Amino acid sequence: MKLSELKGDTCARIRSLGSDRRFVSRITSIGMSEGAEFQVVRNDRNMPVLIYVRETLLALNRNDCERIETEVIS
Amino acid sequence: MNRIALLGQPNSGKSTVFNALTGSRQHVGNWPGKTVEKKDGSYTWKGEKYTLTDLPGSYSLSGTSDEEIITEGFIRSGEADLVCVLVDASQLERSMYMLADFAALDHPAVLLLNMMDVAASQGKTIDAELLSRNLGIPVLPFTAADSKGYDALKDLFAKELSDPHKLKSVPSAAGSGHSAEEIKDRGKAKYEWISGVLENVTGKGSERFVLTKRDRILLSPGWGKLLCIGIVLLGFLAAMVIMLPFMGIGSMIPGLVREPIADFLNGLGVHQWLVSIFSLMLPNVLYFSISMAAFVLGVNIVFGYLEEVGFLARAAYQFDGVLSKLGLQGKAVAPMLMGFGCTIGGASGTRVMDNWGQKMLAIAIVWSIPCGAIWSVIPVISGMFFSAWGTMLVCACILLYAAVMMWIVSKVFGKSLSPQENRSGMIMELPPYHKAHWGHIIKEALYKAWNIFARALRTVTLISLIFWALSYSSGGNIENSLLYKIGTAIEPFTRIFGLGWQTFLAFLSSAFAKEAVLGVLNAAFVGQSSLLEVTFNAKTAAVDTSALAAAMSAVISKPEALAFIFACTFNVPCVMALFTTYKESHSFKWTARVALFYIGCALILSCIVYHVTALFL
Repeated sequence: MKLSELKGDTCARIRSLGSDRRFVSRITSIGMSEGAEFQVVRNDRNMPVLIYVRETLLALNRNDCERIETEVIS
Repeated sequence: MNRIALLGQPNSGKSTVFNALTGSRQHVGNWPGKTVEKKDGSYTWKGEKYTLTDLPGSYSLSGTSDEEIITEGFIRSGEADLVCVLVDASQLERSMYMLADFAALDHPAVLLLNMMDVAASQGKTIDAELLSRNLGIPVLPFTAADSKGYDALKDLFAKELSDPHKLKSVPSAAGSGHSAEEIKDRGKAKYEWISGVLENVTGKGSERFVLTKRDRILLSPGWGKLLCIGIVLLGFLAAMVIMLPFMGIGSMIPGLVREPIADFLNGLGVHQWLVSIFSLMLPNVLYFSISMAAFVLGVNIVFGYLEEVGFLARAAYQFDGVLSKLGLQGKAVAPMLMGFGCTIGGASGTRVMDNWGQKMLAIAIVWSIPCGAIWSVIPVISGMFFSAWGTMLVCACILLYAAVMMWIVSKVFGKSLSPQENRSGMIMELPPYHKAHWGHIIKEALYKAWNIFARALRTVTLISLIFWALSYSSGGNIENSLLYKIGTAIEPFTRIFGLGWQTFLAFLSSAFAKEAVLGVLNAAFVGQSSLLEVTFNAKTAAVDTSALAAAMSAVISKPEALAFIFACTFNVPCVMALFTTYKESHSFKWTARVALFYIGCALILSCIVYHVTALFL
């Protein structure tokens, strides 16, 4: 499931970050690496997605979230 | 040698540590050939001098941006004897990523666990001694905004410079290739290394994250935006309140000292132009500089507060979508709103931007926003030619064109200041709410205001002297001034833009101070007061608008008036805003470039407005 499709308050794990080098490098450095578990805090229409990963609250652009494949844990 | 460099991710408190250590002994410029800010400073501790370099903030050292390339190159060059790596103790695992990258550079280092106060308030515990043993370098728990810990930090630097330590382990390198897969593998290795060194160091606290009540409102799609705008506007008011007492005192100076100085100098029998410099120009320069510094002080206190408590990051989240269309980060929303009040405030508010390019672009765009002074002048002039409805239409057109101008500026300068490849969608950290450390905020704002005051005195004096020379006229008759002579000589040329010599004069003076426009028009059309007088006493002199209206409408047509209104509004902002821009960007080249662009655009706009409206009016 794409990250952008996850509902608020879902816990999930990152399966794939896609293949854009720049994006992978940037998003990894801010805490999101493949296999990392995170929590979707808020996912409102037309707004960046808010997630909580490695003790950090992050806002991620919606289009970028479409590139991130995840699996839901709970 | 005692050369120290500070390295850390954005929001790690790097600049707070830098400012607290160096105080006023710092130099801010750009890295050679790059649009990245370079901050150097020094301090003395126990009789020894130490130099400090604040490395550009970035999340890693992967070499994908100018900031990262500069940082890595600087550390590799050995220009620093010791690197102080800062991490956010409240988000330890994630912020250690920079340390994991740094480890590969094999350089003497100390680790600063900053924001221990935030970590403690979240109930997080960190065993700094164990972490130090795991890493092989000293680890110091720290709260940058609290002045108490700095002696220990300086002692630690001194000790490590004579007996340096390097990190004893490095993340396993998974090749140095640049494919996405290799980057992922390296990332994984770095996080594994981090988990390894943090083993038993942190108390486990991985409960589910719940938004605070405040965040639930502030981050909601609709109300949140309104609330953000409201808070910034309140902040603007607060900045005004801080500035008013200073301005009040400043504004009394010209009136108080003018006559005594004039009498004294006249008594000495010196030439009249010397009298006017000392009695009229210099007291006003002092007044301008005081108001400017007071405003910078107010804005810096308010923005320092809003940034430190974590509000600006929330505002950025709300407005990122809109502003990314201009090539700006969401954070720019605060300086832009500030720009409606005062361009100086907007320009100094861009201190919150992450990098130099964003900062310069934000300032260039803020210039397009009509400031409070414009709104106090334009409706008056418009009212002399048009009905109340007409004036409202003029104001609406100004707002509309302001949006167009912002777009034009972002297109023209966006390519070089905010390159497309750097415009990744928003990936932003929303730092936890912090308690504000007022002492630190006020100290930093005072330092900045003083700095701008000292420099403004010199620069504004110089520019005022030029303007003084141009507008000085013996006997107060405007026709004896150089400005008049130049204005009338080039009138055939300025006519192309729909500007006669009088309005062109006022256009030029609008680049000096927008408040001067009415006075200059009065001097040019009614002719009772000297140009010098009205320009320098702009904020205190009263203008008889009905007399001016009669005189103006007898000489210039409605299209000419409209052309003038637009030319003035979208001219460069006042001298003080120009100076603040220069101070904030440290780039004379870019300040001049943007200024010339604005003057050119204002004249072209004036030309278009004049010729198009001449068809209808």
